[in-house]
Amino acid sequence: MNLEKRKFRFWSWAWFVLGAIYFIVPLYATLRHSLRMERDVIGFKAYVRAFEDADFWETFLLSNALAVATIIASVILIVPTAYWIRLRLPQARRITEFITLLPFVIPAIILVFGLIRTYSSPIGIPFTGIEFFQPLTTTKLGTYALITAGYMVLAMPYMYRSVDTGMRTVDIRTLTEAAQSLGAGWFTIVTQVILPNVRSALLSGALLTFAIVVGEVTLASFLGVDAFGPYLFLIGQHRAYEPAALSFVTFLLTWVAMGLIQLSTGGQGQAAGAH
Amino acid sequence: MKTRKNTFHLFSLLLLVSMVLAACAPAATEAPAPATEAPAADPMADLVAAAKAEGTLTTIALPHDWCNYGEVIETFKAKYGLEVNELNPDAGSGDEIEAIKANKDNPGPQAPDVIDVGFAFGPSSKAEGLIQPYKVSTWDSIPDDAKDAEGYWYGDYYGVLSFLVNTDVQPDVPQDWADLLDPKYNGQIALSGDPRTSNQAIQSVFASALANGGSLDDAQAGLDFFAQLNAAGNLVPLIANTGLVATGEVAVRITWDYNALSAIDTFEGNPTAEVVVPASGRFAGVYVQAISAYAPHPNAAKLWMEFLYSDEGQNLWLKGYCHPIREGDMRERGVIPADLLAKLPDVSGAVFPTVAQLDAAKLLITENWDAAVGADIQAAPAP
Amino acid sequence: MAQSSLSLPRVKEPSSLKNWLGVTPFFLFAILFIALPSIYLVQGSFLNGEGQFTLQNYVDLFTTPLIVEAYKLSIQISAATAIGGGIFGFLLAYSITVGGLPRRLRSALITFSGVASNFAGVPLAFAFIATLGRRGFLTLMLKDNFNIDLYQSGFDLYTFWGLTAIYMFFQFPLMVLVMVPALDGLKREWREAAENLGATYSQYWTRIAFPILLPSILGSMILLFGNAFGAYATAYALTGGRLGIVTIQIGAQIRGDVLHNPGLGYAMAMGMVIIMAVSLAIYSWLQKVSERWLQ
Repeated sequence: MNLEKRKFRFWSWAWFVLGAIYFIVPLYATLRHSLRMERDVIGFKAYVRAFEDADFWETFLLSNALAVATIIASVILIVPTAYWIRLRLPQARRITEFITLLPFVIPAIILVFGLIRTYSSPIGIPFTGIEFFQPLTTTKLGTYALITAGYMVLAMPYMYRSVDTGMRTVDIRTLTEAAQSLGAGWFTIVTQVILPNVRSALLSGALLTFAIVVGEVTLASFLGVDAFGPYLFLIGQHRAYEPAALSFVTFLLTWVAMGLIQLSTGGQGQAAGAH
Repeated sequence: MKTRKNTFHLFSLLLLVSMVLAACAPAATEAPAPATEAPAADPMADLVAAAKAEGTLTTIALPHDWCNYGEVIETFKAKYGLEVNELNPDAGSGDEIEAIKANKDNPGPQAPDVIDVGFAFGPSSKAEGLIQPYKVSTWDSIPDDAKDAEGYWYGDYYGVLSFLVNTDVQPDVPQDWADLLDPKYNGQIALSGDPRTSNQAIQSVFASALANGGSLDDAQAGLDFFAQLNAAGNLVPLIANTGLVATGEVAVRITWDYNALSAIDTFEGNPTAEVVVPASGRFAGVYVQAISAYAPHPNAAKLWMEFLYSDEGQNLWLKGYCHPIREGDMRERGVIPADLLAKLPDVSGAVFPTVAQLDAAKLLITENWDAAVGADIQAAPAP
Repeated sequence: MAQSSLSLPRVKEPSSLKNWLGVTPFFLFAILFIALPSIYLVQGSFLNGEGQFTLQNYVDLFTTPLIVEAYKLSIQISAATAIGGGIFGFLLAYSITVGGLPRRLRSALITFSGVASNFAGVPLAFAFIATLGRRGFLTLMLKDNFNIDLYQSGFDLYTFWGLTAIYMFFQFPLMVLVMVPALDGLKREWREAAENLGATYSQYWTRIAFPILLPSILGSMILLFGNAFGAYATAYALTGGRLGIVTIQIGAQIRGDVLHNPGLGYAMAMGMVIIMAVSLAIYSWLQKVSERWLQ
C-alpha cells in the first residue's frame, strides 16, 4: 500500500513538471525575446517603445472603454433578468439557460459574419419600404454599439453563470419581501438590495468579460474597429520585439484579472476558451 | 450644509454637461493656419471645404512603413483637419478590390474611399466598374504610360524588386535570382504576399522569369523558378513581413526596394540587414491610385489625391525611398531635395512592363501558382 | 403586498403575462443579436445566386474540394487537440487531485489554468513563434546544444502539428478546470471499499474509477473539440490565413466573396454551427450522465 502511494506520487510529480515545462517555456521565450531589443543588451527598450506608441494607447483605451461598456450593459441586462427568473418566472429558466449556451455554438467568426450581414443594411419590415433603422455599420457610433452587442453575446454565458451562481447563494425571496415590506419599488430593490449582494459574483463575471474583450480580435478586425487586438496583430507584422513585449504584458494583465477573480470568489477558476 | 451639498451637485452637473458638450462638439475646427499651398484656384478651396464637410477619409492597405505612408497620413490629417480611418494595413491589392466589392451598399467605415493597388489591378478594376475617374490638378506631369487616359487610375510611385537579407541569420547575401537556389538558403526565403492576390508577390514571380530564361511576355519561367525553389525547400510558405525578417524567421525576403530600405531603418541595427537589387532580372513595379466608385467620402478622396500628387506629397513618398511618379517633372523644376535622391539605390537597367504584359503575367501566375508551385505548400487548395 | 410571508411559498401570480414582461429586454437582445444574425445565415444558405430556394449549397459543401479540405483539416486539428489535450489535461488534473500533490500546487495550477485558457489569439501565436519558430528559443537551443534540427526533421510551426502544439496551451487548462471537480467527486469511500474487497490499484481504476469518470472525460474532450474547432484568431495570427481551416475560410469569405457564391459561404458557416451544436448536445448529455455519480 505504501509502495503504491509512493509510486503514484512519482507520476503525479512527473505529469505536473511536464505540464509546468510546457506552459512556462513559451512564456519565458516571449519574455526573453522582449528583453533583447538592443544588441547584446538585456533591457526594456522594447517595452519603452511599445508604450511610447500613441496607437497603442488609443487602441488599448478604446478596448478598455468597450469592455466597460460591455460590462455595464451586460449587468443591466442580465442581473434583473436572472433576478426576475429566480423570483417570478422559473418557467423561463430552461430557455434562458439555453440562450446563454448559444454563444458556445456560435463562435465569434460566425457571429461577426451574421452581425455584419444583418446590420449592414437598413432594418425594417421586409418587402415593404418601411425602414426603422439605418444600417448600424454606417456610423462609427453604430459600429461601436454593434461590437458592444457582439461582445455582450460572447460574454453572456460567463456573466449569466456568475450572476446566477451568485444569486443562488443569496436568499432572493426573503430579501425582496423584506424590501417590499419597507416600501421599496422594483428599481430600488434591484439596485440597492440585490446588486450589492451579488457583488463578488459580478466582479468575477466582469473581470472575465474584461479579459475577453480586451484580447478580442475577430469581431474588431471584421467590423473595422480600432481595438487592441487588431493593433497587436498589426504590430506583429512590422516589428520584432515590441509584439513580444506586448504579448507578455497581455499575459500578465490576464493573470492579474484572473487573480482578482480568485480573490473575489475563492473558488475554481473560470475558463473562457479559445478565440 | 445643505447648500454646500447642493453646490457640489450643481458643480458636478455643470462639469458633466460641459464634458458632454465638448465631446459632442463638431469635428475639430483647426486654427486658421497660413496656407502652405496657396489655393491655385477656387476649385481647390471648394474641394477642401467639401472634404471637411465629409470629415473622414477611409483608406485601406497603407502600412505606415510603406513609402512613408505614416508621415503622409499624419501630414494630411494635420493639414486639412480630416480624420483618416485606416483599414487593414496589410491587405494586398486583391483584398482591396474585394473590400470595395463587399461594401458596395455599405457607406459605413468599412468601405474604402481610395485604393493603392498594383499596376495591373487598375485596368481590371476599371473594367469591373469599381472605380471612378478624377484628374488631379497636376495631371499633365504624370507620364502618359503610367495613367489611364480617362482618369480612372493613375500611377503614384514605383520601386524595384530586391532581396532584404537579415545578415545576422544569413551573412551570405545573394546577389542575383539564381543564387537563391543555393542549398545554404534552405528554409530561408519567402515572398511578401500570396501570389494569388498580392501584387508584390505576383511581380516577384514575374521578375524571376527575367533571370530564368523568360521575358516580359512570358512569365512561365518565373513559375518554373519558384517551383524549383519550393522543391529545394528554400521557399518558406509564409507571407514575409518586416516582423518576420526582424526576428530572423525569414532570412531573405523578396520585396520592393523601398520596403527593404525602410525595414532596415526600423531595425536600428538589431538585426543587421542588407538590401540587394538583383544583378539581372531588375524589375520595376508601378502602383496606381484610384477612387472607389462607391466611396462614401468622394470629396475627401479627391482632396487626398490632390495632396498625394502635389510636390509635398510626392516628396514625402520619396522620403520613404519610393520613386514618385512625377519625378521627371519635379527634377526639371528642381523641387526634389538632393539628400533624398542620394539615398535611393542604383536601379539602372530596371524594366517597366506594359499593362498588357502585366495583365498576361498576372493571369498566368494567379491561375497556375497552385498547380505549378503550390502543390507542396501547406496552403488552401485551389477552388 | 402579501401580508402572510410565513412558511407558505408564494403563490404564482395569475398575471403570468406581466411576469414575462420582465424578461422581455433579455429576449429582445437575444432575438436582435443572436437569433436574427443566425436566421440571416440560415436563410442565406438556402438561397442561390438569384435568391431562390435551393439545397445545392449544402450539396456543394461536400463536393467543393476547398471546403472539404478545410473541414477535414479543422476536424483533424480539433480531434488531435481534443484527444491529446484530454489525455494530458486529465493526467494533470489527476496529479493535483487523486495524485496527492501538495495543496499549494493544486491552487497554483487551477489559477494558472484559468489564465492560460484565456490566453489565446495573437499573443499566444507570438509566444510560440518566439519558442518554436525557425529562430525560436527552443529551436535554437536544440540545434546548438543537442544537434537536433527541428525543421530539417520535418517539423514546422506554421502547419498542422504546430497549430496543434499551440492549441494545447488553452486545451490542457480547459481540461484541468473541467476534470478537477469530477475527480474531486470520486469518493474516498469507493476506493476504500474496493481495497477492502481485495481490489488492486489498477483494478480500482479500470473497474470503478474510469467507468464513473468516463462520461466526464468524454464530455470534456468534446468540449475541447468544439473549442478548437471554433478558434480563429490564433490560427490567423500564426499563418496570416494560409492554413486552410474552416474558420479562416469563413473569414476570407466575409472579407470578400472568394467562393463566388455567397450562399455557399453561409452554408459553410451553418455546417460549422451544426458541428458545434452537435458537440454541445453530446457534451450536455454526457454531463448529465456523469452528474448521476459525481454529485
